[in-house]
Amino acid sequence: MTTDVLIVGSGPAAAGAALALCQRPGLTVRVLDVGGRLEQDHEAARLRMSQREPSAWEATDLRTISQTAVPSAQHRLPEKRNFGSDFPFRDFGQLDAVSSAGDLNTHVISGAYGGFSNTWGAQTMVFSEATFDDWPFTRRELEPDYRAILGSIPYAAEEDDLAEYFPLWGEADRLPPLGEGPDRILKNYERHRVKVRGHGLLVGKARLAMRGAACVSCGLCMTGCPYSFVYSASHTFDQLVGDGLVEYVGGYVALSMGEEQGRPFVKARSLSSGLLETFNADKVFVACGALSTTRLVAQSLGLWSKRIHMSESAQFIVPLLSMRGVNELTQDDSFTLNQFNIVMPFDEVGHDVVQIHGYPFNEATGDALPQVLQPEALRGVRSALLRRATIGLGYLPSWWSPGFDVQFSSPESEGQLPAMTLLASSADQGLTKRKLRAVVQRLVTAAPYLGVMPALTQVSLSAPTKSYHFGASFPHSRAPQDDASDVVGRVAPWQSIHLVDASVFPTVPATTFTLSIMANAHRIARTVFEGT
Amino acid sequence: MKKRPERLIGVTGSTGYLGGSLVSALRAQSLNVVAYRRSVPDGVNDGSVRHLDLGQPADRGVFDGVSCLIHAAWDLSETDPRRAWELNVAGSKRLLETALDAGVQRVIFISSMSAYFGTRQPYGLMKLAVERAVLEAHQVVVRPGLVYGAHSGGMFLTLAKLAHLPVIPVFRGAQQYTLHVDDFISALSTLVSSRDVPSAVIGLANETPTSFKDIMQTLAEAADSSAKTVVVPWHALLALLRAAERLGVVLPVRSDSLLGLVRPAPGVPGADVAAQLGLTFRPFSRDQL
Repeated sequence: MTTDVLIVGSGPAAAGAALALCQRPGLTVRVLDVGGRLEQDHEAARLRMSQREPSAWEATDLRTISQTAVPSAQHRLPEKRNFGSDFPFRDFGQLDAVSSAGDLNTHVISGAYGGFSNTWGAQTMVFSEATFDDWPFTRRELEPDYRAILGSIPYAAEEDDLAEYFPLWGEADRLPPLGEGPDRILKNYERHRVKVRGHGLLVGKARLAMRGAACVSCGLCMTGCPYSFVYSASHTFDQLVGDGLVEYVGGYVALSMGEEQGRPFVKARSLSSGLLETFNADKVFVACGALSTTRLVAQSLGLWSKRIHMSESAQFIVPLLSMRGVNELTQDDSFTLNQFNIVMPFDEVGHDVVQIHGYPFNEATGDALPQVLQPEALRGVRSALLRRATIGLGYLPSWWSPGFDVQFSSPESEGQLPAMTLLASSADQGLTKRKLRAVVQRLVTAAPYLGVMPALTQVSLSAPTKSYHFGASFPHSRAPQDDASDVVGRVAPWQSIHLVDASVFPTVPATTFTLSIMANAHRIARTVFEGT
Repeated sequence: MKKRPERLIGVTGSTGYLGGSLVSALRAQSLNVVAYRRSVPDGVNDGSVRHLDLGQPADRGVFDGVSCLIHAAWDLSETDPRRAWELNVAGSKRLLETALDAGVQRVIFISSMSAYFGTRQPYGLMKLAVERAVLEAHQVVVRPGLVYGAHSGGMFLTLAKLAHLPVIPVFRGAQQYTLHVDDFISALSTLVSSRDVPSAVIGLANETPTSFKDIMQTLAEAADSSAKTVVVPWHALLALLRAAERLGVVLPVRSDSLLGLVRPAPGVPGADVAAQLGLTFRPFSRDQL
C-alpha cells in the first residue's frame, strides 16, 4: 500500500520537501503548481547559448536573454529579469485580487515553475546557531537537513571568517574569480582584519548555489545563467520528474484545502479550463511561498478581516565607493552574483546579526544611478562613479524591521481567490532607522581599512515586501496557539496538512533564508515519515 | 583479557604558566596527561610529551588516544597582528579541526577575560575568533580572570615585578576579575572529568572585580614595599608602548595587556553554567598570594 503525498508549489520549499520524500519507499509524490514558464523564444535562445561557448553566441540570442527592466525611482534597483523575461513575477492567475496600500510591492507571489528561485541571488548560508534561540528546535536538529540540501544542490563556498557563525557544511566548489573591486576589498580585510573586526565587521566570500568550477564567467548571472549553473528549484524538479520520482501537475491555482475524515484535499482551479478540481492525498505539504500559503490558509479557515502580520527582514541599499576605480567597467568575463558578505554581529552569540552582500558592477547598476547623473553630458562622471562603486544590499533581522500586514476578504464566488491587501505595519519604524544608522556608522569607522566608503546620501531602506525575505504568519511553536503551527507545520485543526515554507518560520534573520527554507521543509517532510 | 586503553588528557601550551600548572596538577591527580610542546626534550620517549607546533598543521596521529584536549597554547611573541592572527587564530582553528577529526571528544579552549563582545584589543579579538570556532564545534570555552596565587606567572608575575618599583603606576577605572590558580586547576579538573559539560563560554573568576589600584597595593604590601601609587594617563602610556612595539623594542608590558587592564570585560560570563558544575572562585585577598 502506498501513501499519496501532494506538494503544493514548486519553489525552494517544495524542492526541499520533495528531496526528503522522493527516495522514500511506499510514497507517491505529486506536485501541484501554477507552473508559469519562460517564453518559448527566450527558452530557445537560452538553449542555443547553453550549447556554445560565449564567443560563439548569436548577438540576437544574447540581446533576447540579457534584457533588464527599467528601474523604478522608488526602489532604485530594478526588478530583476530572468532570461529577458518577467515570468517569475508575472501574473498567471496567482496574483488575482492582490493589492496594496501605499508603496508596497504587489509582485509577491510567483507563479513560475521554480518560483522566485528563478531569479534569486543564489546566496546559500545556514542560519547562525543563536537564531534558533527563538525557534522551538535547535540548529543541531536541522543540521542533517542542511547537509542533505547542500548535498543536493550546486554549492560554491570557501572557508573563511564567516564560518565562525555560519559553518560551511558540505562539499563545496571554489567560487569563480572575483571582480577587481570585491577582490580588493577582501584583500584589504585580510591586511587589516583585526582593525576591521575591532569595529564589529567580519568579511568573507559569498557562498552561492552555483557550479563554481564550471562557471565560464560570461557575466550574465544577474539575468539568468544560460548554462543553468546557478541553482533554481526547477532544476530539482526537472531531475525528479525526469527520474520518475515525482509526478508534476502544472497549470493549477490552489484555492483552498481541508481535511475530510482525516484525509486532506486541495481544491484548485485549472488555468486552462477554469474548472475546479479536488486533489486528494494522505499528506499535503504546502510550499507556495509565505504569502501564497498564508492566503491559502486564510481562505480555507475563513480568516477574513483579520490583519495577519508578516515578519520581514528589511532590505537596505548602501553603495560603497572606493578611491581607486576598477580598470575596466564591464560585466563581461566575470561572474556578477554577490561576491562577498559583510557580517555585523551586534551581540556575542550571533543572534542579532546584520548582513550586507557586495555586488560588483553590472549593467543594471548603471541604470539605477540617480536621475541627475543620467544625461549624456555626464557620462564621464557616471563612468568614474561606477568604476568605484560596489553595491551593498543589506538586510536587518525581522525583529528590527517593521514587516507588514496582510488582510483577506472572502471571494465573491467559488473558484476565485480571496482579495488580498498588503498593508504597512503599524509598528514604529524608529528602531529600524536607529539600527540602520548603527550599521552605517560601523561601515564608516571600518571604511578606511576596507578601502571603501559608504555613499551616505544614497543609503536607503527598501519598501516593505521588497526584500522577499518574509514569513512567520504561522510560526512554529512547541505549544501552538492562535495562528501558530506545530513543529511540523500543522495549523489547527489540520492533522495531515503541513505548511513547509517561510510562513512557519518563527523569525526571519538577516542571513539569506532560501537554504534554511529548503532545510526546514526537508526536516518537516522527513519527520512526518520518520519511523514509517 | 585485553587491557582497556587509558584515557588521555592532552594539554597544549604546556610550557606556559597555565598549561604547565595544569599538566602538573592533573598528573598529581594520577591522570594520564600528554603535554604538547614545540620540541620534545631529549630522552623523553614515554609518550608523555608529544610534538605540536601551533604554527604548523598537525598530523591526526598526534591526538591518538586523547579523549580531552585542553588548548592553552598561544604565542605572544608575535606582535604583528596579521602574523599573530595566522599563527594563533588560524593555527588554533586548524588544531581544533584536526583534534575533533582524530576523535578527541572534548576540547576545552583556554581563552581570556580580554575576549568579550565589543573589545578592540587585538589579543581579545583573536581569542574571540577562536572561541567562535570552538563553540560552533560544540566544545567548551573558559575565560580565566587574572590568575594569581603561589608561584604566579603570566600577567600577575609582571604586575608583581612592577609592584617593586618606587612609584607604582595605576589607571583610573582599571579593574580586574581575579582567579586563584588553585580554583583554576579545580575548575579544569571538573571540566575534564564531568560527564556533561555544555558547550558554552564559562568565565573562571570571582564575580566581584578588584580595582587595579587594590591589586597593586596588595602586591606592594606583600613585597614589603611602601611605594606610592600614581594615577597615570593610560592613553599616553599606550601610545608609548605601541611606538616601542613598532620599533621592535621588547618591554615587560605589551600594549594589549595595558588595554586589558583599562578596558576590562564588563562581567564574568556563564556564571549559571559554573554554578551548575559547582565551580567556585574565591575573592582576591593578600592571604591567598
